[in-house]
Amino acid sequence: MILSLIILYVLTLIYLATTERFRNAATIMSLQGWILMAIAIVRLHTLNWAELTFIIAETALFKGIIVPAILFSVIRRTKINRIKASGSSQFHSLLLSLVALTASVSLTYVLADEASKVNVVFFCVALYSLLSGLVLIVLRTRIFSHLVGFLVIENGVFLFSTAIGVEMPHLINIGIMLDILISILMLGIFLTKIDDKLHSDDTDRLTHVKD
Amino acid sequence: MLYYFILSILIAGLTFTARNKKTVALVGGAFFVVQFALAAAILWGGWSEMKHLHFFTFDPLGSLFYVLLTVVGLFVFVHSKAYLKENSLKEYRLYFALLMLLETAITGVYFSNNIAVTWIFLEATTLCAAGIIYHRREEHALEATWKYVFVCSTGIAMAYLGILLLCSVAEGGSLEYTALQERLREGNPLFLKIAFLLVLTGYSCKMEIFPLYTIGIDANFAAPSPASALISTGLVNAGFLAIFRIYRLMATTEIFPWVKSVLLIVGILSLAIGALFLRRTNHYKRFLSYSTVENMGIVAIGLGIGGVGVWAALFHVVCHTLIKSSLFLQLAVARQVYESYRINRLGDYMTVNKVGALGMLIGTIVVLAFPPSPLFLSEVMIFQSIFASGRWWIAAIMLILLCIVIYSISARIIKLCYQPNQEQLHPSSVDRALSWSALLLLAAAMILGLWQPECLTQTLNQIAIF
Repeated sequence: MILSLIILYVLTLIYLATTERFRNAATIMSLQGWILMAIAIVRLHTLNWAELTFIIAETALFKGIIVPAILFSVIRRTKINRIKASGSSQFHSLLLSLVALTASVSLTYVLADEASKVNVVFFCVALYSLLSGLVLIVLRTRIFSHLVGFLVIENGVFLFSTAIGVEMPHLINIGIMLDILISILMLGIFLTKIDDKLHSDDTDRLTHVKD
Repeated sequence: MLYYFILSILIAGLTFTARNKKTVALVGGAFFVVQFALAAAILWGGWSEMKHLHFFTFDPLGSLFYVLLTVVGLFVFVHSKAYLKENSLKEYRLYFALLMLLETAITGVYFSNNIAVTWIFLEATTLCAAGIIYHRREEHALEATWKYVFVCSTGIAMAYLGILLLCSVAEGGSLEYTALQERLREGNPLFLKIAFLLVLTGYSCKMEIFPLYTIGIDANFAAPSPASALISTGLVNAGFLAIFRIYRLMATTEIFPWVKSVLLIVGILSLAIGALFLRRTNHYKRFLSYSTVENMGIVAIGLGIGGVGVWAALFHVVCHTLIKSSLFLQLAVARQVYESYRINRLGDYMTVNKVGALGMLIGTIVVLAFPPSPLFLSEVMIFQSIFASGRWWIAAIMLILLCIVIYSISARIIKLCYQPNQEQLHPSSVDRALSWSALLLLAAAMILGLWQPECLTQTLNQIAIF
């Protein structure tokens, strides 16, 4: 069950690398939220009900509903629904995403022989998630894509925290705190300030502060 | 410790209720009474006397940094009052409240004995610093704030992944550094290496070293100069401390030589970036920030060499705190005269404000590690360790880069003092008392260069030997 959910999660990451439309990216972020919730339920069902309810509620509400809703609201406000350059950018990001996947799997293969303590499957996907997020941030020019990249990294961190959540549930709670505080702050700045002051979601406008 | 946090946060919150700037100053006074009371309790009570406080411990390193933070914080507070006198009450209140909260969050980083709690407080510093960076509410400030929040959050998320991996290798249990050290001793080396890389990369945004050093520069660019003094010292020290605690965790593992090599590479790269960009930038605050990157690079090299290098690195951080805060505060005074930071246009500072210009010139000599600078001592010790370890190539690279640093910094500061000025001047805004007060920090640093008190050397010995 968990393996199929994780494979589905990996597929969403590959799709994110290829999609040009922001609406699709927002939908995928919502889907990732629900997948992570399902993984948390299966993985952490032995926790006490209060902790489990909190984690499930946060994942469903925050990752599944609130963040995607804010992303859709940003798309409506800025009226920008596509990445800046299509075609070659897509090819490069897909290529780099696949390289990241290969690197993560290879590293896990090396680690799997030696390590018995760490859940290598979760670690592999978390690492792939981190690299995918970085690929989105580096290759795409629009701030919206950068936000999606950051959310992907956060989801990867959350996924790995569920791997050790049974022994240390407070680590998941700390991860959730990161989600809520920073995502709200960043989405808040983006929604209320960047659009008002810069009238664009283009990173070309964010290059004045430099040497 | 809990009472300290409650009291500090309450006082910071009280700032919002102030009806005039005088009340804000009074609230600030109350805040510093609390800070100095804790510092006094630590100094006179002795950290060894104070027992374990759940998530916090008054260890020598945290206590030393805390005392420095309190002193620098007070100077920053006084300079900020003059710097922001034209601002509206709303902006004034928000700035001081955030400054107090930032200091409280940094204190949390200094004293936390738990890897997760350190991370939480570092995250809290991002939120407080972001508000300070956005103080001017203009396009540049927004851009710098966005970059700061975005890169810091990405870095902090990466660091958290590293922490999760460390905890996973340690197979659960307590997350206190001492407990983790025991359990990581037999940890899988490859996992430990990945975890260290993730944590180092993540926390590099706070310590202002390679690879995520850029946001520290942008943050200092946009924040008011007195706040930059705190960001470049107190917050940088928090990043250093977080990395140093991980460094100590790794000291008992078999990957320690590898960890030191990584720090050497990071240190050299940071030093190189600092040296090269010191030549390139045309903004005095960015210029001083690159000097921080360069100095933190030297600190990382000290840690990477190990042995006496660790002691030298710690001494370097302590003295850098006093020197860099003094320079930023001098720059805040200069800003009142010129209302600009453009290197190619500012000049004649010696005629406008002799005390301030002398402060900048002496600060330059001290930051460049010429005697009687304390940095001379730490850098000589680092070079000694490098020669002793037989790695001559590191010394050669460092010497070349330090020559570039010496040329760049001297040329720029001499320009500020003597080149013909091309900006509008406001000589009536000169506040010599503030220039003198910033000189006090520099004098303290120079005294440390000539004479190191027994208590300081003993404290550093305690920290460096593990």
